[in-house]
Amino acid sequence: MKQWLTNVLLETGEYIKDNDTVGTKVELFHLEITEGVISQIVPATQTIEASPNVTDMNGKLLLPAFKEMHNHLDKTYLSLPWKAVIPSKNLKDRLAHEARELPILATTGKQRAVAMIEKIISNGTNHIRTHVNVDPYIGLKNLEGVLAALDDYKDVVTAEVIAFPQHGLLRDNVPQLLREALRNGATMIGGLDPAGIDNTIERSLYETMDIAHEFNVDVDIHLHDGGHVGYYTIDKWLDMVEEAKYQGRTAISHAFALGDVSAMEQHTIADRLAQQQVKIMSTVPYNINRVMPPIDLLSEHGVDVHFGCDGFFDSWSPYGSGDILEKVTTFADISRKLDERSIRQTLKYITNGITPLDTNGQKVWPNINDEASFVFFDAVSSAEVIARRPLERTVMSKGKFIH
Amino acid sequence: MSTLLLKNVRLEEAFEHDNEHIVATRTAIYDVLIEDGHVKEVGKNIVVPENSKVLDAQQQLLVPSFREMHIHIDKTYFGGEWQAPRPITKGILTRIEEEQTLLPKQLPTAAYRAEEMVKWLIAQGHTHIRSHCNVDPQIGTKHIEITKQVLEKYKDQITYDIVAFPQHGLLRSNVEGLIREAMTMGATLVGGVDPSIVDRNIEKSLQTTMQIAQDYNSGIDIHIHTANTLGEFEFYKLIDLTKQAKKEGQVTISHAMALADLAQPQLENLVQAMAAVQMDVTTTVPIGINRSTIPIPYLYDKGVKVSVGHDSLTDHWSPYGTGNTITKLNVMAERFRFMDEYSLSRAWKYASGGITPLNDEGERVWPKVGDVANMLLVDGVSTAHVVARRCPISTVISQGNIIHQQEVGELKGEFR
Repeated sequence: MKQWLTNVLLETGEYIKDNDTVGTKVELFHLEITEGVISQIVPATQTIEASPNVTDMNGKLLLPAFKEMHNHLDKTYLSLPWKAVIPSKNLKDRLAHEARELPILATTGKQRAVAMIEKIISNGTNHIRTHVNVDPYIGLKNLEGVLAALDDYKDVVTAEVIAFPQHGLLRDNVPQLLREALRNGATMIGGLDPAGIDNTIERSLYETMDIAHEFNVDVDIHLHDGGHVGYYTIDKWLDMVEEAKYQGRTAISHAFALGDVSAMEQHTIADRLAQQQVKIMSTVPYNINRVMPPIDLLSEHGVDVHFGCDGFFDSWSPYGSGDILEKVTTFADISRKLDERSIRQTLKYITNGITPLDTNGQKVWPNINDEASFVFFDAVSSAEVIARRPLERTVMSKGKFIH
Repeated sequence: MSTLLLKNVRLEEAFEHDNEHIVATRTAIYDVLIEDGHVKEVGKNIVVPENSKVLDAQQQLLVPSFREMHIHIDKTYFGGEWQAPRPITKGILTRIEEEQTLLPKQLPTAAYRAEEMVKWLIAQGHTHIRSHCNVDPQIGTKHIEITKQVLEKYKDQITYDIVAFPQHGLLRSNVEGLIREAMTMGATLVGGVDPSIVDRNIEKSLQTTMQIAQDYNSGIDIHIHTANTLGEFEFYKLIDLTKQAKKEGQVTISHAMALADLAQPQLENLVQAMAAVQMDVTTTVPIGINRSTIPIPYLYDKGVKVSVGHDSLTDHWSPYGTGNTITKLNVMAERFRFMDEYSLSRAWKYASGGITPLNDEGERVWPKVGDVANMLLVDGVSTAHVVARRCPISTVISQGNIIHQQEVGELKGEFR
């Protein structure tokens, strides 16, 4: 199946504006899409052959579709009436509250996950990595709900589903439950604060790695543990990745500890993370008690950093728009990216590394044979999209308009 | 006599408890009658008075409107084409030097963009705007003229303050005469910027600022960005001058970054001294990686009023900024971890001049008969809900007149 998208605005380079600042050069093109990939890119000045399937994009700017890399589709209250977070004294209290609520929420699992997926897609995302609780309270019920919801959207979004031991790994029969989850549709194994929750760092990490090996799946571990206990946990995990030759297959989510240690330690561990190809997933937290991981520094060392919206509007947090672009806007703002070039590069955190122009302003995307997964904006550059965050978006996934 | 009857508005009535926790806000549906800009009656099934305009709110929440307390409408890119700022090479002086050529060049579009910004701010629920306005050697008082003219055009919709703002330094750029001229042209407050790092003479800069304020019988709103002990030193100087000049309640410090740096007991001592002269503070709620946020709830509880402002929507200083105060409160809530119904509900006061529908004890204190009818209709079920979920504003009412309405799609209420 062939189709044409006409009058698509692409970033093609840089130029120096009258006021002596760097601007982004854009030009209009027609794109031919065949079986979900780009088959031709021609200047808009060229006439295209008559085709029954043509959509005029009217000069809208084309950007790569976004990737949501840390979410909890099972937890949200979306589609249910407003409810604020119940005050809690500490993490234990919060977990106890969640445990009480889980069985009640499990009955609306699919409905709530669908509401979340809809919101995420409408903002320009066609891939979702979701953690799903697997715990002694609800067993695999949340997994069933999330899988059912994702199945309804299987032509629209791709997904990674992580079996996540939110209430601890080394307790009850959780390791067995996780294995069962992996036999029943979960595609990755998760983990959570080996020190803070399991109270044993090495055993918890080994068990996680064992399960990963057994099922040949990738790993994504939640690590909120701060300071040097978190730092050691990452360092120990890096040892294990090295030993197990699991390079490129694991990620640490949140990784607050990286923000707590000295600059020298940050550089050291960033090098190791890059060597072992351990990714960092951040939700760009800015609450006043947190120090953000040093995302620019990690990036400079070649560490793959991705953003996620995290779970939102749930028993943990009442906020969240579901707009992954807002995470980039916030990051660019709070890390003081002010000029066209530095703003533009932050897009990579939500596109699996793709930016239309490279750091030198050379065009590197899109190319023939690239997947036709896009977001379209009324804007004149990636930098404008990031700084101004337009809400009107058209979304295409593998050649199909999904929003 | 003009009357407006709001039918079926949702008003907050009380907090709902579960054991020791506040878990929700109880609301009920009322009619609110507004006459000559003030609330005349709050009741159920109010009979439509003759010749009254009627608006059926369809159970949307009625909340106090916003006050934008720190913005620069005179030098924005808003309404123009996209332009990223240039990289900073010399700190604040990068921008001051840039303004010497940029602002004269922007003069032909300044009024248009200012007006676009005012319209946008009205659409976001603001019924008062305090705009700082450049007074500098290049632009003279032309921005004052433009700002005055634009805001005056909207005087039936909003109230406003114009701060005569010596961006390039009162002493450094030698503009005392121009600031005085600005005060005769309609500026309502004397501005200022960093007596130390810009003017390099704390004493003389602050004294001159206060002298102008005394001569024109006005208040002061001064930008002070300096850190820890330097800011502290400047604040105390300003407090002394405020006392001497009997300007209690008329002095605002904008940004006041030092308050984010000081530890106890220095912080408490300073805050008490500020509260004693009713000095207030405006903030943009900065969340930058290298910047701390001033302890907003602490300041408010200790008697220093804090108000939020957007500062910039997009200009040569920063390309970010939404003008959306519900979003601003949402960011503040996340920054300070207001997560439960009660703490979320308390955020509203920072944007409304102190007004919340329920007081801290949970009694309804707004709207009351006699209150000025500056209000918004929002598709949400409590102020906490609106802040957390960023519910949309459908209607803006200023002094009893509907000044803006916008499509929010199908009303979703508690499902928003």
